[in-house]
Amino acid sequence: MLKIKNLSVKVDEKFILKKVNMNIKDGEIHALLGPNASGKSTLAYTIMGFQKYKVSEGEIWFRDINITNLSIEERVKLGIAMAFQSPPAIKNVKLSLLLKRIAKEKSIFNMKEFSLISNLLEREINVGFSGGEKKLSEIIQIISLKPTFVILDEIDSGLDVINLTKIVKIIQDKLINNGVSILAITHRGDILQFLDPDVAHVMLEGEIICSSKDWRKPWETILRCGYEKCKECEERELLTN
Amino acid sequence: MKSVRNAKSANYLQINHVIKKLLSEEGVILRPSAEAYEEFEEAKKYLDKRPSEGYFIWVRQQISHPLSTCITISSPNIHQNINNLIIVDPGINVEIYSICNAAKPVLCGVHEGYTKIILKENSSLKLRHFHKWGVSDEVKTVTEVMLEKGASMLSFYKCISPLKKLSVSSTAFLEKNSSANFEVSILAKDEEAELYESLFLNGDNSNGIIKLRMISDRNAKITSHSKIVANGAGIGHIECMGLLLSNNSIISSIPEIFTKNKEATLTHEASIGKISEDEINYLRSRGLTEEEAISLIVTGFLGETLLH
Repeated sequence: MLKIKNLSVKVDEKFILKKVNMNIKDGEIHALLGPNASGKSTLAYTIMGFQKYKVSEGEIWFRDINITNLSIEERVKLGIAMAFQSPPAIKNVKLSLLLKRIAKEKSIFNMKEFSLISNLLEREINVGFSGGEKKLSEIIQIISLKPTFVILDEIDSGLDVINLTKIVKIIQDKLINNGVSILAITHRGDILQFLDPDVAHVMLEGEIICSSKDWRKPWETILRCGYEKCKECEERELLTN
Repeated sequence: MKSVRNAKSANYLQINHVIKKLLSEEGVILRPSAEAYEEFEEAKKYLDKRPSEGYFIWVRQQISHPLSTCITISSPNIHQNINNLIIVDPGINVEIYSICNAAKPVLCGVHEGYTKIILKENSSLKLRHFHKWGVSDEVKTVTEVMLEKGASMLSFYKCISPLKKLSVSSTAFLEKNSSANFEVSILAKDEEAELYESLFLNGDNSNGIIKLRMISDRNAKITSHSKIVANGAGIGHIECMGLLLSNNSIISSIPEIFTKNKEATLTHEASIGKISEDEINYLRSRGLTEEEAISLIVTGFLGETLLH
């Protein structure tokens, strides 16, 4: 579904990502682990096509289409969507208006999960939303786009267990159970046990230094030794395809 | 509530220099301002001279729905010189929609509008004033408001269609316990626009807000002068926000706060910038094109919360 080939990315002439490779197949869940400022969100924004993130080398393919030079909205049209870690406020624009504009099907407004954001609909987008409200709003917006591949950027950050469970249930019911592929970016890893990813990648200083089909292996090492020791880890592995 | 947003439902409709509709109703005196000048002492008191055109609205009893006025230019090279007078009697609350527009895009019209508003004790007025002109039109609108004790006014002026030259001036004089909230939203393109907003907090416990939203696009220049003067122990705030949509456009914002009273509190904030790339990217990541994203942000910026 999504193939990232040898991708290097610059921001303001500074290399942030270095020769990143990733292959996410249909229906797979991948986790991208890494400390703050390791380049995880840069990868997300580059997959989305944000102009600030300049691809200096490599390609991104989505469903056999080279999307490296496509606009953001063209990528969305192909089925890519992203839940933002810190979505910006859009003043004076109600969430309900945006949802009506973007929803692929009207049935979104009838699904039971929609009731969870009923108190947010008449509010301005992300203006004064709590952390949990922002995450809920992001997930509902994503679902309304009916994507086939979703990036969840730190969807577990700042959430208590109750809210995290609520969010994960929606992700499970509305995305995973519908065969949507997922790239879950996480720093603290709270979401790993809920999503049980097929592959976990570890990113350090813009490079993927470990990719494992058993997410527990790198995660336990990280818990034990911290991210900084990952580079020295003798057990780290890299998947070739 | 009856619809007030089109000319058909207007209480007062003027096209070029001709009054096409004048619809009085119970509790409201509505006349051409020239006639009112001869007929009512109250009108003569506030009008400097006999006007040539314009309306006189005197709200004497509480009404349950908004009033509306519409002044249009529909022929080439028309020069309107409008003199309006609105009086709201004590304790009455009223809402007025006021539309001034050109019927066609290139009529080279001139619209000069002078409106005086008298709000008697404890009355209130919500005035929504919309302008829609053509690219060759020149417009000057001057509003003067006298707020007696306990009166309040919410004024919302909006002009987002580009014209040649725009000058908007509003001045309010506030007595004790009165309040005025002036919001002005303009989008200028290939245009020169000047805004002058002034509030005089003359009475104790009076309060006023000036809120400007300015968007300057291609070859436009917007200059705003906003001023609050506290003679009494009032509270005032000026908020000027500007967005530049292109490099060859200019916004100049000059807020001024002036107090003679040590119990008064006056504040101001001003910012001019470009549209946040984060906001555009966010909306594009929901499938909107760049143009659609900018349009949504701009409309939101101009102040009215977008409804369904």
